[in-house]
Amino acid sequence: MSFRNNSVKLILYLALFVGVVVFLTPFLYMVAVALTRATRIMPYPPILFPRNPYFGNFAVVWSRNNFGRYFLNSVFLACSSTIVSFLVATTSAYSFARFQFPGKEMIFRFFLISMMVPGLLNIVPQFVMIKFFRLVNTYTGLLLLYSSTGVAFQTFFLRGFFEIIPREMEESIRLDGGSRFTIYRYIMLPLSTPALATLAIFTFSASWDEFFLALTFIKSEWKRTLPIAIRLFQQQYGTEWGLVFAASLIAIIPIITIFVVFQKRFIRGELTTGAVKF
Amino acid sequence: MREINKRGLLIVIVSLCITFPLLGGGKQEKEAEPRKIEIWHTYSDAEVKVFDEETIPAFEAAHPGIKVVSTKMPYDGLKQQVIAGVAGDAVPDLMRMDIIWVPEFAKQGALTAVSDKNEFGAIQANLLPGPMRTNYYNGKYYGLPLNTNTKVAIYNRSALTSLGAQPPKTFEELVALAERFKGPEKWGLGVGGTSTWGQLPWFWSLGGRLTDDNYTRALGYLDSSGSIEALQTMVDLNRKGLIGPSLLGAEPNTWAGIQEGNYLMIDDGPWFYSILGQEAYEKTVWEQFPKGKGGSVSVVGGENLVIFKGARHPEEAWTLMQYLLTDEPQLRMARTGLIPTTKSAGGNPELEDNELVQIYVKQLQTARPRTPHPNWEKISEAVGLAFESAYREKGTAERLLRETAQEIDGYLKD
Amino acid sequence: MQKSTNRKRVSSSRIQKGAQQWKEVIPYLLPGLFLFALFVLFPFFFNLYISFSEYNIMPGAEKPFVGFANYVKAFTDRKVGLSFRNTVLYSLVTVPGQMVLGILVAVFLNSIGRGKILFRTLYYIPVITSWIVVSLIFRYLFESGKAGLINYFALRLLGIKPISWLQNTWTANFVIWSLGIWKGIGWVMVVFLAGLQSVPKILYEAAEIDGAGFWDRFFKITLPLLQPVLFFLFVNLLIGSFNVFIQVLVITDGGPLGTTEVLLSYMYKNAFSFFEFGYASAQSVLMGIAIVAITFTTRRFFRAEVYEL
Repeated sequence: MSFRNNSVKLILYLALFVGVVVFLTPFLYMVAVALTRATRIMPYPPILFPRNPYFGNFAVVWSRNNFGRYFLNSVFLACSSTIVSFLVATTSAYSFARFQFPGKEMIFRFFLISMMVPGLLNIVPQFVMIKFFRLVNTYTGLLLLYSSTGVAFQTFFLRGFFEIIPREMEESIRLDGGSRFTIYRYIMLPLSTPALATLAIFTFSASWDEFFLALTFIKSEWKRTLPIAIRLFQQQYGTEWGLVFAASLIAIIPIITIFVVFQKRFIRGELTTGAVKF
Repeated sequence: MREINKRGLLIVIVSLCITFPLLGGGKQEKEAEPRKIEIWHTYSDAEVKVFDEETIPAFEAAHPGIKVVSTKMPYDGLKQQVIAGVAGDAVPDLMRMDIIWVPEFAKQGALTAVSDKNEFGAIQANLLPGPMRTNYYNGKYYGLPLNTNTKVAIYNRSALTSLGAQPPKTFEELVALAERFKGPEKWGLGVGGTSTWGQLPWFWSLGGRLTDDNYTRALGYLDSSGSIEALQTMVDLNRKGLIGPSLLGAEPNTWAGIQEGNYLMIDDGPWFYSILGQEAYEKTVWEQFPKGKGGSVSVVGGENLVIFKGARHPEEAWTLMQYLLTDEPQLRMARTGLIPTTKSAGGNPELEDNELVQIYVKQLQTARPRTPHPNWEKISEAVGLAFESAYREKGTAERLLRETAQEIDGYLKD
Repeated sequence: MQKSTNRKRVSSSRIQKGAQQWKEVIPYLLPGLFLFALFVLFPFFFNLYISFSEYNIMPGAEKPFVGFANYVKAFTDRKVGLSFRNTVLYSLVTVPGQMVLGILVAVFLNSIGRGKILFRTLYYIPVITSWIVVSLIFRYLFESGKAGLINYFALRLLGIKPISWLQNTWTANFVIWSLGIWKGIGWVMVVFLAGLQSVPKILYEAAEIDGAGFWDRFFKITLPLLQPVLFFLFVNLLIGSFNVFIQVLVITDGGPLGTTEVLLSYMYKNAFSFFEFGYASAQSVLMGIAIVAITFTTRRFFRAEVYEL
């Protein structure tokens, strides 16, 4: 399905380019505001390309409200929750893809339905549970929550990939007396790298951006995470938007960087062919 | 090359993950000898500085057995934090909360009644009665007012000069000035919004009422002829183009508008000056809210100190609470524009020299609190909706206020 | 007699077999299932219980059983109707919007050679950016008055007078919808692009020989073949669209006059502003039922037998 005609191709490029410009203007504007001094009042005319970029906002953001500390907290939390989720989700998906046991499809159905019911109000019962385990104000508590609220989607997502891996590949391992774990470790995981990479970036950015749970379950100031720090710049009266957007930029740049670096790896053809055959 | 770079990045990330908890370990909280009490607040950056660096050290020096952990909370989602804390039995010992929340949390049973304490009588005698009243629920007091505030009229200095006028004393004078000030991108009145907080000074000063004095009935008050006329006056002013777009939440907002000269007058609290600083002093002039049929009636804001039922160290919390209501800490916070709630601090010469505080103290003498009732949030939402509907001309002021009064009577009975 | 003992034997051996299977799977299944049961399933039933009571947040407080009162209230509350309308509208606008534009971009990208990866990366950036941040950006972009960026361009390029975007119901909804579409296009594009790779090239070549044009090939070959992908996209976007919340909270907070309120934002307000947990939970349960029902019904429109719900 390709266009032979060169002029058609040119039009396509043009359309895509215009699309990208429209698409990225909001980000450009955010950068511009972050580089503007005194932003309690909106400048007129609006500034898209600051002539004298002002980096003071970034300096202020980084030094105020323990921002640096919160940044590192977020790095730690996002990394460890990605790792925990990886272990939980891959084993869970493996059991649905390669085991037979009574009640399997029923449990899976519960997983699917739970994805459709809004989880907004779960925060109160979740708090009761976390409190019961004496995990309020710990990262362990948050990690448990992050990985458990994601487990349904992740299982659902990975099961499809695991199921399309040809069973013949396992035969040789079985003949060699390999265990279920060997299959999991040496067949399932290596053969679904793109899916795992996709999942990793999803879980990473989900916990990186998470606000409500972190705010509710973390009580010590020094354990707070980045999204809370951004919110601290939104004052009750007179928000300085330059600071809010400078803080936001510091928060989104790592995600975008990781995505750009690893993107070749995770957006691949295999992605959906597996995912749609659940 | 590329592959190596990626691997390098991975290694960095992983090693960060592994080493980070160790870094954090050094700061691990040790539940050691001094009893730790935690206080939540939403002080602004300037206020935090004074509170954390002066007030708390002074208290800790005087009470060696107690250590205070001060936690600044984001204003967004704050109520949800408190609710989750209360539900999960994980609240701080004290909190400095918005005055209108106290009856609501008291009704939920989340707060300790401070009027049961022995020292309460003596402390109450020294507190301003208006702010004190906001802590009352069902026969008891559930908190103490820590700082109070209200809104006064703020005028653009150069606009007044060019009109050759002084800050007006009455509403008629204000309207007359607004007519003269009117022009492209120029509006006489910058109203902060259609919410109760934005509207009440105007509504009350023009002769409107929400409820009776005991907060039991809205019918006959919110829909009285005085109330209808007050709202109608504002709606007419808006229709004539004398009220700026900030009324309905559009730009320029009140702060930008008053500084840039789009608005002749706005109403706001002392934070306008403490946050904006020098610039605000240069560009604006303050005065009491102009008198209308109801007088010059602004709205009482501010924060109360409460002790949660789930506090770990209620006695120590009470000690801190008493300390914060003595003159020294009250005066210290007053330097950032927070108005003291104690009578003794109010009469202190230091305050008398503080013109900013003085104008607010004066305005407070006639200011009214919002209905102190556990259902205030619902009442406020209903009233705000009625006001907004009136400005958008979705109905007559009379009909909107009558319907809302009926609705509110239901909430007041609960 | 004989038969029944036989049956017993069969069933007991079946139980044994089942137990054996569970024993094998348990090390892999348990961590996920345990977490799920504790922090997702339990809260779900807990909410169900709350929805039949007048819930008080204090530990140990009385929680009187009120039967279906909260549900009855939800059906008579005008604001629930309004939030439901806005939520459905959000789905009706953003799901097709994201799909059409995302697929268009994917098809375009698939047809060009160089720069494919660059474009794909750029279009994907909004997808991975935090909802709170992009909501703040949009609110700022559509600020009313002449200084808002959108208003400024509208005035300069089209001569349109400044619009108070967030102060009128439909313009405010428009902003919320635009954000939803803008943020989701990249995701649709990536998934569809991946799907396109799986269509055998030979089909296109054959069609081309038969003289089929570009759009003919698109509608007669690509779309029918990629029906499962379309369904996957549709279901995910639909569920996502019912969860519209943060953007409303940040951009309009339900205003003006509560006319941009959506189900989740209204629920949030009930629970955390008004302490009406029972009522909010009832809404949550109703909403869950609605989403499950809609997903099941729409399944028929896609002839995809793959969805094993």
